[in-house]
Formats: sequence, structure tokens, C-alpha cells
Amino acid sequence: MRILQDFARSLRQLPRVSMVAVGVFVTLGVLAPYIAPHDPNAQDLLAAHAGISWEHWLGADHLGRDTLSRLIVSARTSLVGMCLVLLIALSVGITIGTIAGYKRGWVEEVLMRIVDVGLAMPSLIVALAVIGIFGTGYWNMIFALALAWWPGSARISRAVAVGVMNRPHIETLRVLGASPLRVYFHHLLPTTIGAVLVYATADAGAVALSIATLSFLGLGIQPPTPEWGQMLVDALPYLETVPMQVILPGLVLTAVVIGFNLLGESIALNRVPTPLSRRILASRRMLASNWTRAQQ
Amino acid sequence: MTGALLQVRNLTVDLFTARTALRPVDGVSYSVQSGETLAIVGESGSGKTVSNFAPLGLMPTGVVADIHGSILFDGTELVGMPEKQLRRIRGGGIGTIFQDPMSALNPALRVGRQIAEVGELHLGLTSMQAEARALELLKLVRMSDPEARLRQYPHELSGGLRQRAMIAIAIAGEPKLLVADEPTTALDVTVQAQIIALLKDLQQRLNMAIVLITHDMGVVAGTASKVVVMYAGRVAEYGTAEQVLLEPRHPYTQGLIAALPLPEDPPGSPFRGLPGAPPILGAPVKACAFASRCPLVLENCTKAVPQLLSISGVSATACHVVNASRLKEPANA
Amino acid sequence: MRTLISIRLRNAAVLLVLATMLCFTLVVSAPGNVAVLIAELRSPKATFEQIRAVEEELGLNDPLVVRYGNWLGSALKGDLGVSYKTGESIGPALAGRLHVTGILVAGGAIFAMILSFTLGFIGALMPGSIGDATTRIIALLGASMPSFFVGALLIYGLAVELRLLPTFGSAGLSSWIMPWMTIGLLPAAVLSRVVRVGLEEAMARPFALTASAKGLSRGRIIFRHALPNIAPTYINALGAQGGAMVVGAVVVEPLFALKGVADLFLQGVLFRDFMVVQACLLVFLTSFIILNLLVDIGMMFSDPKLRRQGANA
Repeated sequence: MRILQDFARSLRQLPRVSMVAVGVFVTLGVLAPYIAPHDPNAQDLLAAHAGISWEHWLGADHLGRDTLSRLIVSARTSLVGMCLVLLIALSVGITIGTIAGYKRGWVEEVLMRIVDVGLAMPSLIVALAVIGIFGTGYWNMIFALALAWWPGSARISRAVAVGVMNRPHIETLRVLGASPLRVYFHHLLPTTIGAVLVYATADAGAVALSIATLSFLGLGIQPPTPEWGQMLVDALPYLETVPMQVILPGLVLTAVVIGFNLLGESIALNRVPTPLSRRILASRRMLASNWTRAQQ
Repeated sequence: MTGALLQVRNLTVDLFTARTALRPVDGVSYSVQSGETLAIVGESGSGKTVSNFAPLGLMPTGVVADIHGSILFDGTELVGMPEKQLRRIRGGGIGTIFQDPMSALNPALRVGRQIAEVGELHLGLTSMQAEARALELLKLVRMSDPEARLRQYPHELSGGLRQRAMIAIAIAGEPKLLVADEPTTALDVTVQAQIIALLKDLQQRLNMAIVLITHDMGVVAGTASKVVVMYAGRVAEYGTAEQVLLEPRHPYTQGLIAALPLPEDPPGSPFRGLPGAPPILGAPVKACAFASRCPLVLENCTKAVPQLLSISGVSATACHVVNASRLKEPANA
Repeated sequence: MRTLISIRLRNAAVLLVLATMLCFTLVVSAPGNVAVLIAELRSPKATFEQIRAVEEELGLNDPLVVRYGNWLGSALKGDLGVSYKTGESIGPALAGRLHVTGILVAGGAIFAMILSFTLGFIGALMPGSIGDATTRIIALLGASMPSFFVGALLIYGLAVELRLLPTFGSAGLSSWIMPWMTIGLLPAAVLSRVVRVGLEEAMARPFALTASAKGLSRGRIIFRHALPNIAPTYINALGAQGGAMVVGAVVVEPLFALKGVADLFLQGVLFRDFMVVQACLLVFLTSFIILNLLVDIGMMFSDPKLRRQGANA
């Protein structure tokens, strides 16, 4: 419960533009099959490269599949993939990070060296190499991306965990005889998860971009499942005649990533939120403006 | 007071930031003759720093300062002066020393460059001449091994040496007035005395006036000829150093001086502090700001702002009680 | 100074060894029998004996340490094995492609540096202006647009609609412009934020007030006082973006039909050509390590504190 509350509270301080973009993306992702006006994979060669019409609001692709429906269903593909990657990466990262933060000493030293090496390599190169060895496929893509993403969350979790362990009440708990497991599962883990989830939200845009990039290269989501990067590469040969089919998936993907990036930016800026002083500041601002008005 | 180098009259400063608006300086007046030292004394937040830096346009980014009143420097009005002209005054006519020499020097530039830059800008020197002058200045502020210091970075110098470098920067434009904002606060006690001695020496050699912003009464006693005591953005007392230090009239000044530890105090004796805390800066107080801490407080003190009334010569006090008693007993004047 | 560099060199050497181990392990841990794959490549219906012969030929029966040693030994001589797909020797094929990726990444880096300083300075010099808002929007777009979309838009706008630039091929400098812009936009966006935020932070520090008290103008303070202070951060970020651009090359090279190392890598990944993937990964990891080394040394030179610490060490 506390995790959810922390999460909700931090969401409330975020910019509206990004909340709208991300909100629309998540809604579409969840409700995709019920909203999409057409079957995203239904081919109608007579409608191939159709322009905007009542039947096809955003036209159709080279196989006559309805673009709007494919764009909407892609949101689900992207959302599910993103959640899976983050779930795996965060589980591994938080486990490693909290263990390092809890044990300290040489355990931390060894774990963090591994994390450092992982962070030093550009994430997509590792993912690509793994796919090259183990082959293309949905789960290979998910695991390859998770492999690329866990070091980041491990580093953040360790930093948070060290902070939590240094708080005086943990020391008190230990003196009072709380077992290490209790300290870990009841105090350290919940706090860390809450904090790291916020960062993960900000990182989600980069994961969405990577999924699209891998699919664009033919290494991620495989046809016929619709996905933005794949839609774009499918339409690329017809760029000169039907540019709209290239531009639409690119724009939608960009909008989603902008939403997540703005989110990340505001989180980076709100890193030390102090609710109490905020309230004091607000009242002071009121006072000062009244006083300035009275003087004029 | 004709011929004063710096004539500040009824100076009021309003500061606006994204978060708040405040009036840290409210109707302050004083003057400085050329070659003399004026000390501005007060607690943190009494407006002593802002009153000097805001009119020069020296405000950190994100802070907007509105300035009212008049500041005549060497016959020119600084209030309302366009930024371009003001830049010529800064560093040229008026040099500035900051409190913390570590953060005030640029960590990425050599000391010599930071000094030479001023000469290039204000004295029209070439970069070679300016470097040579920087060397002279380092000798003037009595730096050991000045040739080597020129090529060093601030982090390679000790606190005292950094403050000497800072002073060299401040006097590099041959200013007529030096504003020193707590020049010794961030330094070790032994170094403090050296820096104060250096400032006095430079003042005589270069015939500079100095505005010394400090909260250290000891520093005031050794250097200043005139003292302004500020409290909550207003002048509480103004007078010659001897008068303010030896016969303080305003209860705040009296409290400050009584709070000084004396040599004859037995070890372990408790501090004699002023009770209470200064008001939080914000709207101007429509009464005597010191009333809540004042031992002499009268009914009138919480109703009206006390006027700064001159007593004799340059001496003046802003206190209802003192000024009322003076009116009753004119013999005192 | 020298000691610090030698420490960095030693670290880089350790990392290099780790990188070779990683490349080797990846192929060893590959699912399926490599020998079967190769034997089937040679004759579609490979017999058990043929498979055994391939195993023997590749030394697959030797202990791992020996295999690692053999592989590393030949890799050092430039022999990176044979492509399963084409049967070509990988070493020479790689060598012939290095310059393409080199020109792509170097040109992209220069484009990114120019654009990032332009955007960052406009924002820092005129905060709150229309120019400032524009640079923020460009930076946000650049950081959020997938590079394949940027490339597609450039091709459509500059080559198809305006017919300013050739779409494909190597017709001299003009054919490089779009690839450079495509690969450089994301780093430019990230770096422009580094410049902008760095300058703003530097301008908020007390030394900027000192510079202002000297009578310097805002522009001069930004260039002479704030800029040297962001150099270490910028070099660090540039290094990270350099690594990211190698990844970008995997998208950009196929998009513009450039035959570089990244293109070869992608072909290897698509066809599960282990030896090609391994060889390219080795080249990439080595270049990252060298890049990081250069960044460390660059930071040391641009930060007086680090420089002098080294001198005293």
C-alpha cells in the first residue's frame, strides 16, 4: 500500500503534457482491441495505399490494412513489451542493488563492478549481440533488452538502499532485535521499490524506443503483430508515393517518447521534494504579493 | 556632506524571486568620504550586503532587484544607470571582495588570468601588460613567490592566499572605493588579522575608500572611522566608530556590544546573547523592528517606524525611546 | 599525471581482456551445435562423420581455456574466423569497412558538437526568449525521435521533395550529409542539454558574481568563465554519446546503404552468423574502451584539479 501511495504522490507533481501523452498511450494499450475500428491484420488489397476516407480514417498500408487500427494495436504491443522488459530488469536490478546496499563490504564492491561494466557498454549493442547469438523472437528480444537495462536500476536501487540503511530508525530496529530478513523485506525493499519505480517511469521511453528500433531492424516484434517501428519499415519502400504511412507511426512513437522524457526531466528536477517548505513558500508568496499590491 | 565619494540617500531595495518578494533594505542613508573606511554592521539578513550589491547590479541569476532612492558615486547617480555604464563602474570605480574566496574565484582559470582580465577591461592594457601588472599586484598584496602563484589555480592556494588573490582582483582596476563583504569570515583567525592589516595598508597606499561589511565588532574597532549599524533592513544607529563602540545609544547596538566576550570574563561564563531572533525578512515592519527584543520598549515602538534623528555631528539614532529622552533633555546634545 | 594515465591504461587493458572473454563466451554459450550448422552449410545432408570432422577442424573438443587462447591468438593476428554464411574470411572484410563507420561516427560527432553548442548557447545567452523556447523544443524532439524516423524524414524532405541531396550511394560529401544529421541529432539534443544546464549551473555559482563585479558582460562571463568549467562534463557526455552513436550506426548504415562495420554486424545478427557477430562485437567493445580511455585523459586535461593531482602523484 505504501508503495502505491508514494508512487501516486510523485505522479501528482508531474507536468500535464507528459501525463496526457502517457495516459493516452496506456489507455490505448489497455483497451486496444475494443477501440480499433478494424482488425489490424485484415488485408484488403483493393484498399492498398488508400488515402484518408470514412472507411480508413488514416488510410491503409501496402496490404490494405487499416492504419489507425494498426497504430492503436501497436500501443498494446509496445506497452506490454515495455512492461515486461522493465519488470525483469527492475526485479534483477533491485535485488542486486538492495543486496549490495544491505551487505556493503566486498559483496557490494563485486556487484557494483559488474554493474559498472554493464553501464559502460551502450545498451543496444549488448542486446543486438545477444539476439545475434540466440536468434530473433519475442522473448529473446525481451530478455536481451532486460539484460541491457538492469545495471541502471541496480545502481539506483543501491543508492536508495544505502540511504535507507543509514537512516536512524533502521539502526533502532536492529538494536531492538529485528531479524535481518525483517529489516530487508519490511523496511528496505518497500522503500527502495517505491523510489526506483519513479525512475523506471522516466526510463520507459527509452525502452519503447529500443523495442521500436529492434522491430525496425527486423529483430524485435515479428509480423504480423503490428508495431510502430515495423509499420515504418514496411512503408519505407513507398516513401515517395505514400509518405503519410511512414510519418504516422513515427509521429505516434515520438509523442509517446516525448511524454516519458518530459516525465523523466521533471523527476530529475524534483529530486528533493520537501512538502513542508513548499507550503511555507506558498503562504509567503501570497503574503508578499499582497504587500506589493498594497504599496502600489 | 559635499565632496563625499559615496552618498547614499534613502536607499530602498525590493527583491523578487520566483518564490518570494522581500524588502531587505528600507530607507538607508550614509556617506563615505574618499580614503576613509565605513563599517556596516549587522546580523545575517539585516540587509547589509544587499544594500551594497543590488545597486551595482550584482545579484545572482533569478533574482530581480528594484532600487529606489539615490546613490551618488563620485558625482554620478548609480540608481537607474543603464547596465552598460554600470559595468564600467564595477571593477573600475568600485572593486569588490567577497566573503568566501574559495567559491568566489573561478576554479578553471589560473589566478594570473583572473587578475589580468580586469586590467585588460578597465585600464585598456594588452594581455602582456596586464599579466605584468598582475604580477605587481600579487607583490602588492604580499603573496609569497608571486611568479609561481600567477600560474596556479585557486584550489592550489590556501584560504588566506586566495583572499589575497581576491583582493588583487578587486584593486586591479584602480578603484576609488572597495566594497569588502565579510572579507575575513571564511578565514582562520590568525589569517583574519593579516588580511585586515593588508586592507588598511592598501587603503593608505592607494588612497581608497572602503565599505567594510562585517558582523565582527573587533574588526570594526581596528579599522573603521564611521559605523552604520543595520537591523532588519534599516539603519539603527550611525556615527563615528568611537561613539558607536564606546557610547552606543540604540538599545540594539548596546546589546551587540554587551554581547562581546570580555578578556576579564572568567572561563566558562555564559554568553550574553540578545534574547529573541531578528524578524524574518518580508514585508517592511510598520513599527520599530527591534521592539519585540528591546528592553526599553514603549507603546509607541509597536505603532510607528522610528525616524533616524541626528544627535550631534554625524551621529544619528533611530529609536523612539532614545530620541524622546533626547528631546526631553536637550543638554545631552 | 603520468601515473594517473598509466592507471587508466591498466584499467583499460583489464577491460579489454574482459571484453574478449565476453565475446568468446557469447559464442560458446550459443544454443545448438556450431559444428552441425557448419557441416550443414557445406552439404545439406551432413553425415555424423562430417560433423565430427568439422568439430575436429574447429577444435571444439579442446578444453575451453585452450580454445580461448587459440581464438585470442588468431584474433590478435587479424584472423577473426570465417563467416558461416558467405564463407569469407572476416578479418579483411571488417578492415575494408572500418573507414565507413569511422567517417559516419566522426562526422556525426562533429555535427552533434556544433549543433549542441549552438542550441546550448542560445538558451544560456537569452534565457526566456523565443530562441530559448525553440532550442528547448528542438532538444526535446531530438532526444525523443527514433533515428530511423529522423532518417526517413530527412530522405523524404531533402531527397524526395526538395531534391537537394542524393538518397543513396557515395557521391562524395553530399551523400554523407543526411547520414551525419541522422546519427548526430540525438547526441546533439543530449549534449545541448549538458551545455545549457552546465552553463546555467556555472552562472549560478559565486565566481560568476565575481566576474560580474569585475565589470564583464554576461556574454563574456559565459564564454570566458562558465565555459571552461563545463569542459570536463561535456567531454564525459561526448564520450557516452560516441558509444551511443555506434549503436545509431546499426540503424543509419542500412538506411543509407552504407557498407560499414555496423551494417556487417546487423547482417551477422539477422542471419545468426556467430563469428561475424563476435568479430564485430569485439571491434565495438575495443573502440568503446579506447573511447573511454580518451575521455578519461581528456577530462584530466580539462579539469585543473585532476591535472595537478596527477602531477603531484
